[in-house]
Amino acid sequence: MEMPQYDPNTKPEFELYTIPSHSSWFRWDDIHETERTALKEFFDGSSISRTPKIYKEYRDFMINKYREEPSRRLTFTQVRKSLVGDVSLLHKVFRFLDEWGLINFGAVSRGDDSDNRDSSLGDTELKNQVKIEEGAPNGVRVVALPNSLKPISVPNSGADGSGNGKVAVAGETGVKLPPLASYSDVFGDLVKLKGFKCGSCGEQCNSGCYEYSKQGSFVICEKCFKNGNYGEDKSKDDFRFSDLGGNSLTHGATWTEAETLLLLESVMRHGDNWELVAQNVPTKSKLDCISKLIELPFGEFMMGSAHEMNSCPTGSLNSLKEGQSASSENQNDVKMEDQVHDQMNESKQNGDAATEEPPAKRKRIAPLSDGGSTLIKQVAHISTMVGPHVTAAAAEAAVAALCNESSCPREIFDGDEDYLANGLSSPTMVSDPERALQVDASKMEENQSETQDASSEKNDVPLNLRIRTATATALGAAAANAKLLADQEDREIEHLVAIIIETQMKKLHSKINYFDDLELIMEKEYNEMMQLKECLVEERIDVLERALKTGVSKWRS
Amino acid sequence: KFRMPTADNLVPIRLDIETEGQRYKDAFTWNPSDPDSEVVVFAKRTVRDLKLPPQFITQIAQSIQTQLTEFRSYEGQDMYTAEKIVPIKLDLRVNHTLIKDHFLWDLNNYESDPEEFARTFCNDMGIEDPEVGPAVAFAIREQLYEIAIQSVASAREIKISKKGRRGAEHAISSKGGGNALDLMKLFRYNSSVVRKRKEWYVYEPIVDILSNEEVDALEAREDRNTR
Repeated sequence: MEMPQYDPNTKPEFELYTIPSHSSWFRWDDIHETERTALKEFFDGSSISRTPKIYKEYRDFMINKYREEPSRRLTFTQVRKSLVGDVSLLHKVFRFLDEWGLINFGAVSRGDDSDNRDSSLGDTELKNQVKIEEGAPNGVRVVALPNSLKPISVPNSGADGSGNGKVAVAGETGVKLPPLASYSDVFGDLVKLKGFKCGSCGEQCNSGCYEYSKQGSFVICEKCFKNGNYGEDKSKDDFRFSDLGGNSLTHGATWTEAETLLLLESVMRHGDNWELVAQNVPTKSKLDCISKLIELPFGEFMMGSAHEMNSCPTGSLNSLKEGQSASSENQNDVKMEDQVHDQMNESKQNGDAATEEPPAKRKRIAPLSDGGSTLIKQVAHISTMVGPHVTAAAAEAAVAALCNESSCPREIFDGDEDYLANGLSSPTMVSDPERALQVDASKMEENQSETQDASSEKNDVPLNLRIRTATATALGAAAANAKLLADQEDREIEHLVAIIIETQMKKLHSKINYFDDLELIMEKEYNEMMQLKECLVEERIDVLERALKTGVSKWRS
Repeated sequence: KFRMPTADNLVPIRLDIETEGQRYKDAFTWNPSDPDSEVVVFAKRTVRDLKLPPQFITQIAQSIQTQLTEFRSYEGQDMYTAEKIVPIKLDLRVNHTLIKDHFLWDLNNYESDPEEFARTFCNDMGIEDPEVGPAVAFAIREQLYEIAIQSVASAREIKISKKGRRGAEHAISSKGGGNALDLMKLFRYNSSVVRKRKEWYVYEPIVDILSNEEVDALEAREDRNTR
């Protein structure tokens, strides 16, 4: 109870309970309109189990129960055991009280991701927090034999470096269960094989390793072999040399940005002629080049379907994107999306932001979203849900991320920005974005003219770069248009403010006029009053004179 | 008309298939408005994910299909729709968590949501195992499903016997099965809806975390019982 019974022998103690100010309508003795509207079921007389009296009992019980211990968060489960009635309905009342702060207002809140109440209080941010779990879900125990209680567990990731091996489920190692088929479908091809690690000194064996032929998995690097660190009980003869340099299992492991760029360019120029490509990329062998190219997202495209790119030398964005989307549909969609997702998520998001904001530009940019992937739709949906300032921030972040990833887009972007800056500073509105786009298009043309050296059968435009350029262009267009819209908004605001000021002035003017009129009237009245006064004085004097004449001795003043 | 008396019209499906020395037990909810072609797709995916022998595919698909057909057979029929508050009891074990609970549910509340109840339950009781929630929701749904089926049967009976009776309500409350609570008694004007303290423990949930040995022992007993 809020207040203890009044006992004449002791001073009454009042405990204060805090409720938020928007709940100040609450009264113990009464049911407010807010409650009637939110919990209609109790007030429409539809059932004898739902009456205002019953509602009041539920409510009072819950609030009192909370106030027994205000610092502790009251849970629904604690109250529902004490109340008779449908639990869903009770839960509704509980949630109502919770949202209005009549219970649990001062309680410690839990940091619970899945707490619906917190998120229902107007949280507009995305709460799609994906938890990635490794291994089969905890509870799935596939039993091999009906009488055996041993669960089947997943094998540990093997030394062959297949990084998609999942962690073993708790339990004894019985029959081994390979990883989920769906996972290996999607990610299997992306896995990089690890290099060997030396058993004695612990470093990576890059160039060559010596394998211990007796037992199998013991490996030491060249240095250790020369130095004589063979490990315990092993002698020189037991080791077999395996050259990793030419081994198709391993790579020269690290590809720097410059090498990747060189590779792409040389593939672009020489196409399938891997000898030449390997020559151009000095530090990597032929096989390395091929495998690296395959691993790159769009690497297969470069070797395959970029014919369409070359056949449209005009360099308009349309053809670029159509080609891209067409080829994306030709290839494995799932794989594409995942790879794309990983690397290009931000950029595509912004490509989409571009599609939302400038309706005039829709035709040029739309093909990107017609690529057909549901990912885009999701991204589009997300960008419509958040406000424009969020999208702008995301655009900035994406640009920064892209720049950070490799130097090449940075050049493109920086070039873009220069042109953009020039374009934006000039007052002409409509020509700006077009100019920016044209600039980009001409840049594209430059890029492509380089590639025109190749004969028609050669494929390979650096798709990677193209896409980035395209997104850079899209971002540029978006930025330009945003500026336009902002300018327009500013002007409108000025206009409206001017109107407001004018109206105020008129209002003041008319007030002044009114007061002027009043003043005039007052003056006139004043004059009249004065005249009346004089008249009265005169009359009085008259009366007094007559009184005197007639000899009245006493008069009243 | 017949449907699951919850916000989402989802059917509880239970699978318990044994072939070639392997046993697969599962319980989940299915949306009956999904096309039936999805059943086979689901069966195939399950078998692939759990690396079961392929004979399971047809068996799983068949079992699901049977239960779905049964559900659909009730669909055209009328359901008794007056308010009916029934007690729902939970007594289930999910991995290491043992749950016993008892509460009331209004069959006529078509916005009720077993999943939401399960979520609140797990949050309030601090249950970390993510499989408990769905299992609780499933158990509730199963019971609701059974009661809904019963109400179809009773609606049929009442139609037949309606000819001489005065009020359907009167007949219902006597025929509604021992389950339904007598609303009149409970929600009378001068009685309180707050339970007496000594009764609180009856409706209080009990959540126990079992150790591995206890789990194994329980599983062995369950297996023995079902054979």
